[in-house]
Amino acid sequence: MEREVLFTGVGGQGVQIAARTLATAALDEGREVMLVPRYGGGMRGGMTNAELTVGDGPLRALPVASDCWSAYAMDHAYFPTIAPHLRPGAVVVVNSSLFDVPVDVEGAAVFEVPASGLADEVGNPMTAGFVLLGAYVALTGLVSVDGLVAAMRQLVPPYRTQHLAANEQAIGVGAAAVTPLAAPAWPLNAVTTAGTP
Amino acid sequence: MTRRLLQGSEAVADAAIVSGCRFFSGYPMLPFTELLEHMAKKLPSAGGVCINAESEIEAINMALGAAATGARAATGSCGQGLALMQEAIAEAALNELPLVVFNMARGQQDYFQATRGGGWGDYRTITLAPRDVEEAVAHTQLLFHLADLHRTPVLLYGDYVVAHTSVGIEVNRLELGPLPEKDWALDGTMSGTGRARQIWTWARGKPNTPGPGPDRAWKSIAEKYEEIARREARFEADAPEGTEVLVVSFGTTAPFVDRVVQELRTEGMRLGSFRPVTLWPFPGDALAEATKGCRLVLVYELNAGQMVDDVRIHAADRSAVRFIGGVSQDNSGMRQGDLLAVDALRDRVRQAIAELAPSGGSS
Repeated sequence: MEREVLFTGVGGQGVQIAARTLATAALDEGREVMLVPRYGGGMRGGMTNAELTVGDGPLRALPVASDCWSAYAMDHAYFPTIAPHLRPGAVVVVNSSLFDVPVDVEGAAVFEVPASGLADEVGNPMTAGFVLLGAYVALTGLVSVDGLVAAMRQLVPPYRTQHLAANEQAIGVGAAAVTPLAAPAWPLNAVTTAGTP
Repeated sequence: MTRRLLQGSEAVADAAIVSGCRFFSGYPMLPFTELLEHMAKKLPSAGGVCINAESEIEAINMALGAAATGARAATGSCGQGLALMQEAIAEAALNELPLVVFNMARGQQDYFQATRGGGWGDYRTITLAPRDVEEAVAHTQLLFHLADLHRTPVLLYGDYVVAHTSVGIEVNRLELGPLPEKDWALDGTMSGTGRARQIWTWARGKPNTPGPGPDRAWKSIAEKYEEIARREARFEADAPEGTEVLVVSFGTTAPFVDRVVQELRTEGMRLGSFRPVTLWPFPGDALAEATKGCRLVLVYELNAGQMVDDVRIHAADRSAVRFIGGVSQDNSGMRQGDLLAVDALRDRVRQAIAELAPSGGSS
């Protein structure tokens, strides 16, 4: 079984680090992963997308995803670049503080999380990306929230450790803002461990 | 097994280092830049040297010098930088220096640049085109081996997909067999008047130890490439008995071909796929065999038609060859455009089959 996440936002929102954190968490939980970032020359303010595929066995996915299961959208600016690659009924988790246009995906299950607002409330506006990621993970269970926190800790470089607590808080705030497993990525009654038959 | 989430560029850097690469030079240019960055981070602690040169021309000549001392040396760029490096690649071929060149190409699949080169002389570059990150790790190690074995410049044909895709992977050293001593290396060990080694200088040698001279040297180099062509061609084919339509592609387009071939087979079409793993030497004999009895040989590459020439040369029936690729760049200019997609490829395969047999189907 494979689950895809299409990430989108504008440069500077932490979209690439969010995608890498989720991929690392999935790998550490024994899943197979493939992560393809997509961005051009424009850095801050430019398009920043990523495609992540997570599977419980050798991946069938190609590095150009189509018919994807879910989306993580920090902003609507470049959402039209990923929308055609989402399947009907896709799970779309949006940062409703900034994403204020209708989600143009047939039958999409849209979850609105005011990630930027929540990050502002706890005094760390730069952690909005982790707020939305915490919400995505709580909603889907693609990885565990604890696993996500552990992956974040792994990826923060030694000279940025002052942000660990704020990042962890942001993940928790996001996770608390949604109904757990409202859109489960894996069968809820699965008794198998990832990576084993 | 300890797998780590590695970007393709980092996995290739690790593969180069476990292969013994200890000198790397380059000039940043996407999507090659990350390979240079990872080498810069990793090489010093492995006892090597990485230099951010002032241009691609400097970079490859630095690597050429390092290779001349017997070090495992490498450089790289994307197609634009490779264009600047052609003179030094020809020089490496003429001087019989093992040099690994990483081409992390942009959206354009420059088969001609990889296989024809732009330098002078009767040389070719062994070129491996991996289909994904895992294969790029193996190819990197094989290239260092082949460069030393044949004393020749070699190319890895990567691209944005290879350079930027991250996967969970463990990079381990491959055992690739024994290699000859580098008794030609200018490593300072001979010192002493009259005993110092030379590389090239028109192969004239020294008064007491005359060399073969330019004519014999060039002839022997040309013969070496003939020998490499006989020995080193590699390919992957999925063309069972009765295949009527064979789709040929190389590098990261190949997984898309495999997907479409699998899908259309379920509709009863007798499709197969063929991938040159070495772009040079082109596996011509294998292609001739795989295309026997094919009504259509479709060539899918993201350019205006380059490898299609080699396919026409070697196909059992050249009139069966059709080009179904095309130029396809995304807006950033860094990676492949909309044509690198299952839907687009499936449409083109179907259309080619329909044009051959308007009644539909090839089975």
